[in-house]
Amino acid sequence: MHATMKIIGMTCAACSARIERVVAKVEGVESVSVNLATEILNCDFDENRISVDIVKQAVEKAGYQWAELVKKGAVDEDKIRKEKEIRTLWRKFTVSTIFVIPLLYIAMGTMISWINAPVPTVIEPMAYPLNFALIQILLVIPILIAGHRFYYVGFRAIWLRSPNMDSLIAIGTTAAIIYSGYATVQIALGQLAYVESLYFESAGVIITLILLGKSLEAVSKGRTSEAIKKLMGLAPKTAIVIKNDREYEIPIEEVVPDDIILVKPGGKIPVDGVVVEGTTAIDEAMLTGESIPVEKQAGDKVYAASLNKNGVIRFRATKVGSDTALAQIIKLVEDAQGSKAPIAQIADVVSGYFVPVVFVIAVLAFAAWMLSGQSLVFSLKIFIAILVIACPCALGLATPTAIMVGTGKGAENGILIKSGGALELTHKIQTIVFDKTGTITEGKPEVTDIVAYDGYERTKLLQMAASAEKGSEHPLADAIVKGAEREKIELLTGKEFEAIPGQGIKVRIENDLILIGNKKLMDEQKIESGYALNDANRLAGEGKTPMYIVVNHKLAGMIAVADVVKSNSARAIKKLTDMGIEVVMITGDNSRTADAIAAQVGIRRVLSEVLPQDKSNEVKKLQSEGKKVAMVGDGINDAPALAQADIGIAIGSGTDVAMESADIVLMHSDLMDVPTAILLSKHTIRNIRQNLFWAFAYNVTGIPVAAGILYLFGGPLLTPMFAAAAMSLSSVSVLSNALRLKRFKAQH
Amino acid sequence: MKKLIVIALSASLLLGLTGCAQTDVVAKTAVTSFVSILDKNSDKIYEEEDGYAFTSPSELEAFHIGEDIAISFELAPFVEAGLDIALLPDYIEASDTTITIGMKNNEYESSENANEAFAELVANNRDAIGYHAALDHYGVALGNGNMFEWAKDTSTNDKDIVFVLNPQPFIDAGVDVNQVEGWVFAKVETMEDGKKVEVDKLLKPYDLN
Repeated sequence: MHATMKIIGMTCAACSARIERVVAKVEGVESVSVNLATEILNCDFDENRISVDIVKQAVEKAGYQWAELVKKGAVDEDKIRKEKEIRTLWRKFTVSTIFVIPLLYIAMGTMISWINAPVPTVIEPMAYPLNFALIQILLVIPILIAGHRFYYVGFRAIWLRSPNMDSLIAIGTTAAIIYSGYATVQIALGQLAYVESLYFESAGVIITLILLGKSLEAVSKGRTSEAIKKLMGLAPKTAIVIKNDREYEIPIEEVVPDDIILVKPGGKIPVDGVVVEGTTAIDEAMLTGESIPVEKQAGDKVYAASLNKNGVIRFRATKVGSDTALAQIIKLVEDAQGSKAPIAQIADVVSGYFVPVVFVIAVLAFAAWMLSGQSLVFSLKIFIAILVIACPCALGLATPTAIMVGTGKGAENGILIKSGGALELTHKIQTIVFDKTGTITEGKPEVTDIVAYDGYERTKLLQMAASAEKGSEHPLADAIVKGAEREKIELLTGKEFEAIPGQGIKVRIENDLILIGNKKLMDEQKIESGYALNDANRLAGEGKTPMYIVVNHKLAGMIAVADVVKSNSARAIKKLTDMGIEVVMITGDNSRTADAIAAQVGIRRVLSEVLPQDKSNEVKKLQSEGKKVAMVGDGINDAPALAQADIGIAIGSGTDVAMESADIVLMHSDLMDVPTAILLSKHTIRNIRQNLFWAFAYNVTGIPVAAGILYLFGGPLLTPMFAAAAMSLSSVSVLSNALRLKRFKAQH
Repeated sequence: MKKLIVIALSASLLLGLTGCAQTDVVAKTAVTSFVSILDKNSDKIYEEEDGYAFTSPSELEAFHIGEDIAISFELAPFVEAGLDIALLPDYIEASDTTITIGMKNNEYESSENANEAFAELVANNRDAIGYHAALDHYGVALGNGNMFEWAKDTSTNDKDIVFVLNPQPFIDAGVDVNQVEGWVFAKVETMEDGKKVEVDKLLKPYDLN
C-alpha cells in the first residue's frame, strides 16, 4: 500500500531525515522517503499490519504536521499556500529589518569609531549605558517575535532529541540574548564594563538574515515548481453542462462522468470525453506536442485542457478530476519531483548526523577557547558563530531543487521523467535500443512508389488500386486508400470483392477485373510478371512492400507501401552517436527490411526478426555486456523491454501500457527528445554535484573558520553576524545554481 | 490593532526610559565611586572659597569641585616644553605657577563637604559625566576636550585618577607635547558628540594605592 502526504513544519534536511527515521521504525513500513523541497512524504507499507493513520501518527510523533494532498483545485490551493508563506516571510523580514537597522546603528555605530554615527546622549553607551542596553532590548523584541518560529521549532526539535537547523539558530541567538541580558543586569548593578558585552544586535541581525534567506528560498522554491503550475494552469476552472436542454456553468470539480458538456469555439475542453454532437478542430499540443489541430467528430475522444478551435461540440464526460489525461501527466511530474535520486542519499546521511556533531564541535571549541585563557565573551562568540554557520539547509536543498527544476524543465519540453532516480540514471546510458515500428518510423504505412507498365498512367493505377482496396481491412489497403485520398483521386465503386488469404484481393471495377497482391498471387493466377521482378526486388530491398496490380489478367503496374521514417529519426540517431552512445534497432521485421530502415537512419547494429516476447531478452543480453541500456518503444509488445531496460523511454503517442512501463515519456513523439532527455540528465546531475560540492565545501571550511582556526594563526575571526550572512548566502547560492537549469535548451 | 499596541507600548517604554532617573546608572555609580576615592584620600581634600579641591598625591594637580569645575596643574613643565602663555586661548587661565582649565557651575550652592559638592556637580551637570569602558573610568568633561577621570574600582586599576588635556591649544602655543615632564602624550578612544572617536590627549595618571 502506498501513501503520500504533505508534511508541514520542515525547515532543513535534518527535519526530513528525522521524519524518515521515525516513520521507518514503524513496524509494517516498507519504505519511506521525504522530499524537503516538495514537502512530500512517500511511504510504502503492509496494509495487513498497519494503516495510513499509523504513518500519520509517526509523522506527528516526529514533531511535524501532515496534510492530505488535495487534487481538486490543487492549483489554487498550492499557489495560495505558497504565496501566503512568501508574504508572511517577507512581512517578518520587513519587520525585522525595520527594527534591526536602528538596533545595528545604535549598537555598532557608537562602538566603531570609523562609522562616525552619532546617537542621542540619552542612549550613549558611555553616558547612559543602561539606557543603551534597554533600547536595544526594546528593538530586539519585535525581531525575536518575527523569528519566534525558529525558537518554537528549534527547541522542540531538541526536546524530541532531533535537533535541526532551527535548533542551531535558536541556541546560537538565545546564547547571545541570555548573555546580553546578563550583561544588562550587571550594568544595572553598576558593572558598567558590561556595556561592551551586549550582543542583542548579533541576535537581531542573525534572525533578520535568516528570515531574508528563508524568504528568498521560498521564492526560489516557488520558481522550481513552475512547470507543475504551468501544467495545472492549463485546465479551465468551469464547464458548461447541458441538463434538460439548458446550459449550466459549473465548477470543474462538480463535473461527473456521463455529463454532457458544451464547448464553444475558443473554449478549453474541461474534462476527458467522447464527442456526441458537432465537428471541430482541436489543438492538442499540450498532450501530443502536435501543433496542427486535430479534426473531431462524433465518436472521437477529446482531452481536458486541449483547445477547441472553431466548431461547437457537445461531448460526454468519461474521465474527470484526477483521472483525466492532464491530471495523469501532472501526477507523473509531481511524483518525479517528489522522488529522491540515489545521489540525494549522501546529503540525507550527512544531514542526519550533522546537527548533533555541530553541537559537539561548538561546545568543544567554546571549552577550548575558555581553557586557552580567552574571555567568556570571546568563547561565546565562537560558540554562536559555529552554530549559526553550520546550518545544513544548503546540503538539504542541493539535490531536490535540481531534481525539481530538471524534471520541470523536462515537462516543459514534453519529456516526462517519472522519478529522480530515472533522471539520475539517464546520463549513464551507454546503449539505446530503438523499437522500429512507431518509434523510428511513423508506424503508419504509406504509398511510396508506383511503377507503371504497359502504358498505364500512375494516377490511373492509384485510382484502381485504391478503389479495389476500399473494401479491404488490411493495414496496407488502408495506406493505399489514404494515398489516393491525399491526392484527391475519386474512387470508383468495386463489385464482387474477394479476399484471397495470404495473396491479395480480386475485385471488379466497372468492366475490369482487378487483381492486387504479391508474387504468389501472380503465380497462382498464372500472370506473366517476370519482367517486373527486378522492380519488386529493388523495392523490397528498400524495406518496402511491393504489390502487383493486374488489370484483366495483364500486369499493369506495381504499388509499394512502406512504413516511413520519422523526419527527425536520422538526426536524433546521429546526435546520439555523436554523444558516444551506441544505437541499436530492434524489430520483428525480416533482416532485409530492417537493414534498409537502419541504413536510412544511420543505425549499424540491428536486431531483426525478434519476436515481441524476446525483446526484453535482447535488452538483457546487452545489459550482460556490462552496459547501461535504454529502450525506446511505443507498443504493448515493447512494455517488457521498457521495464527490463535500465531506462525505459516511451513514445507519448503510444499505448498506455508502454507509458506505464517506462521511466520517461516523450510527449512530442519526437526522437530528438531522446538526446534532449540525456543531456537534461547530464546537466541536472552536474548541477547536483556542483550544489553538493559547494554545500559540503561551505560547511567544511565555514566551521573551522567560525571555530577560530584562522584567528589562531593571526587571521580574522568570523563574527556571528557574518556567519549568519554566509549561511543565508549558501542556501540562496545553491538555489540560484539549481535555477540555472531553467536555461537548458532542448535539442530540436 | 496588535501592531498599534506594540508600537504604543514601545513608544511609552522608550519615553519612560529616557526620562527615568532610575536607569541612570552612571550618575549613581560615578558619585559612589568618586566619593569612595575622596573618603580614602581625605588628606588630599582642601576647602576653597567656592568649593573644594581634590589634589593628586604630588599635590601638583588638583580637581576643583564647586562654583568652578576645573583641573589645575603646574605651569613649569609646559613652559619648559616651549609654552608661550600669551598664545593660550581665553578659557585656559595661567597664573605664575598654575594653569587652570574648566567651566562654571552656575547652579552650585554651598555644600557641607566635598562629597556633597561632587554629588551636586553630577546632578547639575549630568551630561558632563561619562564612562570610559576601555579603562573602566568615569570622567567629568570640562569642555574643549579636557577631562578629569577616575577609576571605578581603585583596587584593580593602576590609573586611579587621570588629568586629561586637549593638547591642541598647547601645541598652538608652542608646546612640544612629547617634552612635557610628567605628562604622557597619547591617542585615546573617547566619546564626543555621541560618537566614539580616537583623539590625541595629554595625560597625567596617578595610582592612589
